[in-house]
Amino acid sequence: MSALRDRPALQGAMFIVALFALWELASALGWLRVFQFPPPSRIAEALWELAVSGFPEGVRIWTHAAVTIARILQGFLLAMITAIPIGLVIGRAPLLDAATLPIITFARSVATLSLLPLAIVWFGIGELSKVMLIAYGCFWVMLTNTIAAVKYVDPVLIRAARTMDVDGARLFTQVILPAAAPRLLAGARVALGVGFMVIVGAEMIGTIRGLGALIMEARNFYRTDISIVGMVALGLLGIGLTAGLAWLERVLLPWNTGLASVRR
Amino acid sequence: MSTTGSRDAMLGALGAVLLLGAWESVARSGIVSPAVFPAPSAAVLGTLARMPLDDIAGHVAISLGRIVCGFMLGAMLGITIAIAAGWYRILGNLVRPVIEMLRPIPPLAWIPMAIVWFGLGEPSKIFVIFLGAFFPILTNAYRGIAGIDPVLIRAAQTMDVRGLRLLTKIVLPAAMPDIATGLRVGWGLSFGVLVAAELIAAESGMGFMIMNARQFGEVGVIIFGILLIGACNLVTDWGLAMLIRRWLGKWHSI
Repeated sequence: MSALRDRPALQGAMFIVALFALWELASALGWLRVFQFPPPSRIAEALWELAVSGFPEGVRIWTHAAVTIARILQGFLLAMITAIPIGLVIGRAPLLDAATLPIITFARSVATLSLLPLAIVWFGIGELSKVMLIAYGCFWVMLTNTIAAVKYVDPVLIRAARTMDVDGARLFTQVILPAAAPRLLAGARVALGVGFMVIVGAEMIGTIRGLGALIMEARNFYRTDISIVGMVALGLLGIGLTAGLAWLERVLLPWNTGLASVRR
Repeated sequence: MSTTGSRDAMLGALGAVLLLGAWESVARSGIVSPAVFPAPSAAVLGTLARMPLDDIAGHVAISLGRIVCGFMLGAMLGITIAIAAGWYRILGNLVRPVIEMLRPIPPLAWIPMAIVWFGLGEPSKIFVIFLGAFFPILTNAYRGIAGIDPVLIRAAQTMDVRGLRLLTKIVLPAAMPDIATGLRVGWGLSFGVLVAAELIAAESGMGFMIMNARQFGEVGVIIFGILLIGACNLVTDWGLAMLIRRWLGKWHSI
């Protein structure tokens, strides 16, 4: 008993197992309706079905996941390659920064998913509108983070570089970018999180491929067990993407031991 | 300082005017069809001409009502669970893994289950908005309570402050900045999921207003609605920030 008391992870694991067992039991005894709360065993069967034959027939879970990842990454990268250069320029030009601040603040307040109908009118219901929505959500987050990253580069670093006659493009690539990099990557992580939130909404319209589409489509066929598999897959994907970016951070910035100072 | 402040405000206004002017002139030049890319003036005036002001105000009120309901539920439940999990260690050990398991699932991914559990009415929309607010509020509040400086607690205990008084007089005030952060993030996310929540067979609300406008190809109404949702978010977030600053000012100087 005392061994259990000192092991919080074990307590948590046992609690989750107990919850699953109770859930299974409750639906076996008919306390919970299987359609509303498909028991863990049904969810496992649904996972098997999704992995082997797919839902809708032929579209297996790997395809759904790959389609979702591809959409997120396309929108995310589009936002990165536009937001970072623009942010670098604005961050170095105080007048431009002051002139764009209200626009950026407002654009960030615009809920990305509220652009869904407009995206459909402009880009159709195909892939492009989904990618553009993700790009919009990621863009403003990345832009504000880039501007902040450049603005808060220690001026001593810049003055020190200037005394050594480092100027212009070299000042940017050798001093400003490396100094801003930790904050840039922290921004990228937040942006990816936004993109991940947007994709589920974007996939609810005009497609049957992708995890967001899977969960909605499954509900239309009263297959809530499959919806739950899709939700779990989305959760795991989110964890995976965050971990991937954290790994990239370690590879790109080996000197940056703690992000605690820039993470908010 | 105030001169740079007013200069920045002037520049900001100039930037906004320039952007609106550029949008207006591009749209009026006729390069793009106004049915697809209307001028801002046309979008606003067209919407006001087509929709009575009362209807628009009704959509805004309904959306804000849903957000406030979902957000309040999320805040109450999130803060309560955070306090309980931070106060009783065993409970924290049990609840934390469950939360960590559910938290990565995006709020919108719950929509199908929300419909199955709560039907197509108000509760399912409020549930989705609730989820958007609940997780950031819970995790921030828990971080604040779990990360409280033990010296504060020991100091209070030497003065015989225990139990409920320790919680309300020491722990909660100390955790307040984190709780406030969670509330701001949660409010933003509530707005973020609003439109998607109102996609669930809604017949009212700002999300419905723009999705409905799409079916009739009224791009002007869509643009007006997007700007309206953005403005509501901005104004209410600012209000919440003011409230929090006032309320926190008692203990913390920000």
